[in-house]
Amino acid sequence: MKLKTKLTLFNAISKLVIVTLFILLLPGIIENINKSYTDSRLLKQKNKLLQIVSEKGIKTYIENGESYGSYLPLKEEYISLDEVEPGYYLDTIRDEQRLVERDTIDYRILSHTFKAGNRNYLLEIGKSTETIGETTGPLQNIAFQILLGMILLTILADQIFSTYVLRPLNIIIRTKLIGNKFPKFTVYKEVKTSTSDFQHLDLSIHKMVETIETAFQKEREFISNASHELMTPISILQSKIENMFEQDDIADELKLRLMEMQKILNRLKSITKTLLLISQIENDQFLKEDIVSARALLQDIYEEISIRLQDRNISLAILVIEDVQLAHVNKFLLFNLFFNLINNAIKYNKTDGEITVTAQWVKNNYTISIADTGIGIADDELPYIFNRFKKLKQSLSQDSFGLGLPIVKSIATFHQMGINVVSEKGVGSTFTLTFPQKVTADSPVN
Amino acid sequence: MNILIIEDEKALAHELEFFLLKNNYICEICYNGTSASEKIAVNLYDFILLDLGLPDYEGLDLLKEAKKANPEVACIILTARAEVNDRVKGLDLGADDYLAKPFSLLELQSRMQAITRRKFGVTQSIVDLDGFLVNITERTIMHHTDQINTITKKEFDLIAYMLLHKNRTLTRAQLSEHIWGSVINDDYDSNFIDAHIKNIRKKLSVYAPADWLETVRGLGYRIKTNV
Repeated sequence: MKLKTKLTLFNAISKLVIVTLFILLLPGIIENINKSYTDSRLLKQKNKLLQIVSEKGIKTYIENGESYGSYLPLKEEYISLDEVEPGYYLDTIRDEQRLVERDTIDYRILSHTFKAGNRNYLLEIGKSTETIGETTGPLQNIAFQILLGMILLTILADQIFSTYVLRPLNIIIRTKLIGNKFPKFTVYKEVKTSTSDFQHLDLSIHKMVETIETAFQKEREFISNASHELMTPISILQSKIENMFEQDDIADELKLRLMEMQKILNRLKSITKTLLLISQIENDQFLKEDIVSARALLQDIYEEISIRLQDRNISLAILVIEDVQLAHVNKFLLFNLFFNLINNAIKYNKTDGEITVTAQWVKNNYTISIADTGIGIADDELPYIFNRFKKLKQSLSQDSFGLGLPIVKSIATFHQMGINVVSEKGVGSTFTLTFPQKVTADSPVN
Repeated sequence: MNILIIEDEKALAHELEFFLLKNNYICEICYNGTSASEKIAVNLYDFILLDLGLPDYEGLDLLKEAKKANPEVACIILTARAEVNDRVKGLDLGADDYLAKPFSLLELQSRMQAITRRKFGVTQSIVDLDGFLVNITERTIMHHTDQINTITKKEFDLIAYMLLHKNRTLTRAQLSEHIWGSVINDDYDSNFIDAHIKNIRKKLSVYAPADWLETVRGLGYRIKTNV
């Protein structure tokens, strides 16, 4: 998940939790506020009444022992004053029901006994709870709406701010990390940001890429120069050996040794040429302008390689029925790619073994697979088979210097082809090459 | 035939000269571009072997000068800098062939002979080997009047190469370089020449024993002929 998404999600969820909590608590809170407000009003009214009684005497309300009672027309408030037993004492505020003219109504009632002129009186002031609740609803609604609005506003603000503040990170990821083939030789473009963390990140990535690029470039140059420089001395040695070989007065025993030298020189030549080829491929010195028929190419390789098949009695079946044209390729390189793969399939096969070459469309990509019945590759060695000069344990007996698969790999990379290996030790290996769509763009897709 | 060798690597130039003199060519050597340029302007050569990597001169310019001085001149470019572009440019400017260093002297000679055949129209290209008629230009083999169709392209290449260097022992390494030269792989000892020779003998023996194709014990093979 992206950092921005995470931040937004966290913000929204945390705020939602707070809002929900608040909404759940709101009725209780408002009720409490209302109650205490009502209670304080009731107390004020009581005090006012008591003040009137003490100033003007109880007779203002009660004469001849009758009770006093009064309520508003809609019965939302009432007041009553009664004479009670001298020992009776009450001073409470409670929710109770009262019957007022056949209506039973819930009231918040303040009951208070007081003495006036040696008599004991009970004062009740009631306020209907319905009227108290009336304000609770709208109040709750308004509070809820304001809150919701504020929350939405903050979420929006958070979103905008995090987008703004994370923009440099986005740019760094998009332009410097995703879809970049390493090493790439591009100029450093600073990502503008005032966040020092991102400045640091940007600069560090740049420095790392630069270091990798330099190392890569140096390695390429070294291989290219070294192999070029080696060509001339090898050439001189080869000519000298050939000329000596032609001398009539040379003993046969010496000739044999010259031949050994020639063989060793050939090995040196082969390694140098291969390294040079890899470096030329990696430096993009080949054109990709050929159009090749996949079937004809494999047939050419079959002719070239048949002597090796015959040598170990291995059968090679090329099951490529459809004739697919491969465009934007280099014929020489493709030839060498398949030659090396099939040659390996022969070398690491068992006598009387089999090799099967099949072509297939996987979605829109053309693939060619080379399957052998050979010794296979151990799982722990599989990740290293494309490394230069890496010789696998089981291939040590072979006359190779470990550059066959690196050639294959660099040619495949040069053509943007995918290469996939499935292998089981003792059973065989299958190498599958996947061509990019542009190579087969002119061919019909099945 | 007059040959000018333009090569700044003295040791290599001497080996080239030694080899060519032995094969009855007349040679001159230039170690740098300036003297080569002077020689080209004055003398008439049949062949120029041109190293592109000269320290003092753009090699392709020399090629232009040579072609201007003598349009008939045959030119083979020799270079260690096997850049793909150089090859195309060289051939565009009229070079007849291109050999990347390191190359075999025998390969050079066979290229020179091929160019000679092409350029100067040598008609005698059918060789009679005890009844087997090998036509180098048409790339066919007949036994008297019977056409032999079983010989593959690679096998014919081997026969033609040995025939070009007849009576000379060719090692497996030399033969292998000739027929596998353009394939880059990581084998070094397995050259399959023995298997090829075995096949050739088997196919020819249907008509007559090919005794002219000799095995030189421990060294290699050769075609022996008096023709």
